[in-house]
Amino acid sequence: MPAPSELDVVRGTLDLMILRALSWGPMHGLATLRWIEQRTRGELQIEDGALYPALHRLEQKKRLESEWGYTDSGRRARFYRLTPAGRRHLTAELSRWERYTLAVSRVLAPEPAQ
Amino acid sequence: MTRSDSRWSGLRRVFRLPASAERLARDVDDELRFHLEGRIEELVAQGWSRAAAEAEARRRFGDYAAYSRQARDIDFITHHQRRRMDIVDATRRELRQSARALLRTPAFSLVALVTLVLGISATTSIFTVLDSVVLRPLPYPAPGRLVAITHPVSGAAVTAGHWGVSPAGYFFFRREARTLEASGIYATGTLSVRSSDGAARVMSAQITSPLFGVLGARPAVGRLLTPDDDVPRGPVVAVLGYGFWQRGFGGDRSIVGRTIDVEGQPVLVVGVAARDVDLPMPSAFASQADFAGFSVDVWLPLQLDPAARPVNTHPYTMLARLAPGASAADAQRELATLTARLPEIAPSAYSPAFMRQYHFSVAATSLQTQVVGASARVLWVVFGAVGLVLLMAAANVANLFLVRLEAHRREAAVRAALGAGRAHLAVHYLSESLLLAVIAGAVAILVSWGALHLFIAVAPPNIPRLASVALGWRAIAFAAVLSIALGVAFGLIPLVSRRDVDTATLREGGRGLTSSRTTRLVRDALIVGQMTLALVLLAAAGLMLRTVEQLRHVKPGFDPRHALTMHVHIPWSRYAGWAPVAAFHRTLQEQVSALPGVRGVGGATDVPLVSFGFCSIVFVEDHPLAPGEVPPCVKVTEAAPGFFSALSIPVRGRVPDWHDAEAGTAAVVVTRALAERFWPGANPIGRGIKGNGSRPPFYRGVGVTDDLRGEGLEKPPVEAVFFPIIPIREAPLWQPPNDLDLVVRTSLEDPTTLVPTIRRTIAAIDPAVSVDRVQTLTSVVGHSLARVSFILALLAIAATMALVLSAVGTYGVIAYLVTQRRSEIGLRMALGARAWQVTQLVVGHSLRLALLGAVVGTLAAAGTTRLLASLLYGVQPTDPATFIAAVGFLLAIAVLASIAPARRASRVDPVEALRLI
Repeated sequence: MPAPSELDVVRGTLDLMILRALSWGPMHGLATLRWIEQRTRGELQIEDGALYPALHRLEQKKRLESEWGYTDSGRRARFYRLTPAGRRHLTAELSRWERYTLAVSRVLAPEPAQ
Repeated sequence: MTRSDSRWSGLRRVFRLPASAERLARDVDDELRFHLEGRIEELVAQGWSRAAAEAEARRRFGDYAAYSRQARDIDFITHHQRRRMDIVDATRRELRQSARALLRTPAFSLVALVTLVLGISATTSIFTVLDSVVLRPLPYPAPGRLVAITHPVSGAAVTAGHWGVSPAGYFFFRREARTLEASGIYATGTLSVRSSDGAARVMSAQITSPLFGVLGARPAVGRLLTPDDDVPRGPVVAVLGYGFWQRGFGGDRSIVGRTIDVEGQPVLVVGVAARDVDLPMPSAFASQADFAGFSVDVWLPLQLDPAARPVNTHPYTMLARLAPGASAADAQRELATLTARLPEIAPSAYSPAFMRQYHFSVAATSLQTQVVGASARVLWVVFGAVGLVLLMAAANVANLFLVRLEAHRREAAVRAALGAGRAHLAVHYLSESLLLAVIAGAVAILVSWGALHLFIAVAPPNIPRLASVALGWRAIAFAAVLSIALGVAFGLIPLVSRRDVDTATLREGGRGLTSSRTTRLVRDALIVGQMTLALVLLAAAGLMLRTVEQLRHVKPGFDPRHALTMHVHIPWSRYAGWAPVAAFHRTLQEQVSALPGVRGVGGATDVPLVSFGFCSIVFVEDHPLAPGEVPPCVKVTEAAPGFFSALSIPVRGRVPDWHDAEAGTAAVVVTRALAERFWPGANPIGRGIKGNGSRPPFYRGVGVTDDLRGEGLEKPPVEAVFFPIIPIREAPLWQPPNDLDLVVRTSLEDPTTLVPTIRRTIAAIDPAVSVDRVQTLTSVVGHSLARVSFILALLAIAATMALVLSAVGTYGVIAYLVTQRRSEIGLRMALGARAWQVTQLVVGHSLRLALLGAVVGTLAAAGTTRLLASLLYGVQPTDPATFIAAVGFLLAIAVLASIAPARRASRVDPVEALRLI
C-alpha cells in the first residue's frame, strides 16, 4: 500500500538526483537508489523500476557510462559512473535548481513585516 | 565497491562482438534481477520471510515488464547510435591515416595520381562522346521501331553506295508492305525566303504527309501537313520549323494563316512544328550539308502524283515505322521481295538489265545505325585505343602499389603481429587505394570537362550530333564507377599477392633483399604488358601519320591557293530557263572580274571537293549500248566559261568560252580518268558524249584535264564531264544552273577580305540572288583531310599518353628497385664492380623488359592494325618502316626512363649501403 506522503517525482529531478548520487563515485543501480532514499530520509518514495529507464537514458545522453563489474560480495552488477560531460551538466543544473528554488521560495514566503 | 576497468574500454568496444537483440535484453534482465535480489536480501535481513520479501520487492519495483521493456528499447537506440558513430569515427580515422601514408611517399602518390587522372579522364571523355553520338537514342518516340530504307547499289567506284528511293518505288512499298506501319519520304535542300532584311537561305525539307506521323511530330501552333496538302497541284502551304519561327519571325503566333515569300512565290503558313521536331539526317542527294548543325526551317509537301510515269531517279530518303510485331529483318525480307517485283510494276524505270547491272537491292536498316554510320566505327576504334591507355595506366599504378607493398612488408608484419586481422589489413589497404582513386576521379572529371571543350572545337564537322556532346550525369557516374572499381582493384592487390605475412619477416630484420619470385614476375609482366600496348598505339599512330602525309601529297588537280568558293542561288521565279540564267551568269562574271584583286571568276553546278557527289548517266558515241546493257554513270557538271582558269585546272586542248556557249558549239571538257575509261590510249578530242539520250547529235570533247580529285583526296581521280551552261537544242541537258558554285581566284593572301565587296556587287545586280557557304579553297582541301587528321590527332594523343605512361611506369618501378637493392649494389661495388657496370645492370634490366614488350607488341600490332585498314591511304597496315620506327622509339624511351635511377645506383656509396645490412 502506498505511503500517504508519497509524491510523484518529476523525471528531470530524478535525473538530477541520480547524477548527484553518482557524483560521489560509481555505483550500481540499487546502491544509487538506496543513497537517494537515505538522503531524502524516506520522504520521497520512488518506484524501484523507474530508476532504470532513467539510468539508461542518461547513459544514452552520454552523461553516464556503464560497465559490468563485481560487487564486494562477488556478484555481477552493472556500475554507472559520471562522464565529464555529465559532471558539467550536473554543475550547471545544480546552480539552476538553486536559483529556481530561491525564486519560488521568495514568491511563496510570507510578507516581510514593514 | 566497484572494480573499475580499463581506459581501453572504448577500444574494447570496437573489438567486441556486435550486440544482438538477445544480448541487450539479457543484460537488462540481469541488471534488474540483481536489483530485485538485492531488495529481497535487504528485506529478509530485516526479518521478512522469503516469500513475503519477494512480493514486497516486486511491489516496490513497480511494473517489471514495462520498466524492463523501456530500458531495453533505450538500449537498442543507444547501441545503434554508438555503432553509427563508431563507423563514422573509424572511417575518418582510416582516411586520415591513408592520407598521411600517401603524403609520406609523395613521389608514389603523385605519379599514381597523375597516371590515374590521365587514364580516367581520357576514358570518360571518349565515353561522353560515344554516349552522345552513338549510344543515345534518337529523339523520336520508340526510335528502335524506325528504319531507313535505301537501295544498295554496286558497280564502279563512283556509283557504289546507297541510293534513295524513287517516287514509284515509294508508292509501291507504301501500298504493299505489311511490315511497315507508316512510311514517308523526304528531300532536303535550301530555299530563299524573303523577309524585310532581304533574302535568307533556309534549310527546307519536302516531304510526303505521313512522314510527320512516322517521326511522331506534334505542332506547336496551328497544324502539320495532311494528306490533303500532299496531292498533285495541291495548295501552296508550308509548316515552319520551331527554331526558324523563333529566329525569323520572333515567335509570333499570328504568322500562322499568313503567307511568306518562298523563292518569289507566296506560300501559306499553316502551322509551326514543335520544338523537337526534326529530321535525323539530310537526304541522299544533299551535298555539303553539315550533320552537326542540320535543322529543318521550312517543311513543304512534295505533292507527288502516284499515277505519274515511273522514272529511274532516286533522290528521296525513306523513313518508316515498323508495324507492331515486325522486326527490321522482317521488313528487309518483305521489301526485298517487293523490290524484285519492281521490273514488272514499273518497267519503264526498272529494266531487268538495270537491276542486274547495278545489283539493285533494298536495305532496311535501323535508323540509329544509319545516322551514326561510319562515325560509330571511328569512335569505337578511338574508344579501344583509349581503353588500352586506361589499361596501361591501371597496370602502372598496380605495379607501383606492388612495389610499395614490398617496401612496406615490415610494416605489414608489425601490424599483423599486433593482432590486425586479415580483414583489418584489407580495410587499411583498401582505404588508401580508394582515397587515391576517388581523388583521381574528381580531378579527372574536371580535366574531361576541359578536354571535351577542346575536342568539340577541333573535331571534323561531319560527326553527327556533335553539338549535343556535354559532360552529363551519365559521364560523371561513369567516371565515379570507374574510379571506385580501380580503387577496389588496387586495394585487393596486397591481399591477392601476398601469402601470410609472418614474423619471419620481422626476424629477418626487414632487409627486403629478397622479394618473392611471383611478385617479381608479376611486376615484370605488368611492365612488359605496358610496353606491348604502347607499341600497338605507336604503330597505329605511325600508320595514320604516314596516311596523312601521303594524302597531303595528293594533288587535287586544281590550285586551291588564294581562291574562294561560294554558293549562289538564282531564284527560279525570276530566271526561268537556260538563257536568262546564262545571261545573269555572264553579267556576274564580268562585274566580279572587274573588281580589284580578282584574277578569275567561274561557276559550275558542282565544284571538285566542294560538291562533287553523285553520278548521272551518259551515252558515249563510240560505245553504243548492247540491248539490255545499262549506260555508264559518271560525274557531270554544267560549267560556265572561266571555270577552269578560276580553278587553275590545266587543260590540254582548249577551253570553251562564251562564244561556244552562245553559239552552241556543243563543246565539253572531260577528265583524264574518263578519257582513259572510254577511249583508252586514244585522243579524246573530238569524241562524242551526251547526257539525255543516246542518238546524235553528241557533244564533242575539246579539252582534257589532268587527274582531278572529286569526292575526296583519298578516292581515285574522278571521271567527269563538264558540259556548257547552255545546251544545244537537239541535245538537252538536265536543268538550268540556278544553283551555282562560284569560284573566285584572287591575288590576295587572304581572299576573304574580298567577300563583302563581292556580296555587294552581286546584290547590286539583283538583290533577290543569295550568296552563302563562302569558304576558301584551302579550307575545302583541308576539310577533306579532316576525318583522317582527326583520327591521327586522337591516336597521336593516345600514343603519347601511352609512351608517357610507359616511361613513368618504368621509371617508377626501376627507381624503387634501386632503392630496395641498395645494399646489394653496395655489396657488388665493395666486391669490385665499377660504376658503369652498375649502370649497365639497371639499364639492362629495363632494356630486357622493353625488348620483350617490343616483340610481343609487334605481334599484337600486326594483328590489330588491320582494324585501321579502311582508314589508311598509301600505306599497308603492316608497313615495316613504321613498325621498326615504333620499336626504336619504344626502346629509346625505356633507356631514357632508366637512366636517372641507373645513375643514382652507380653513385651508391658502398660503405653507406653495407651498413644497412
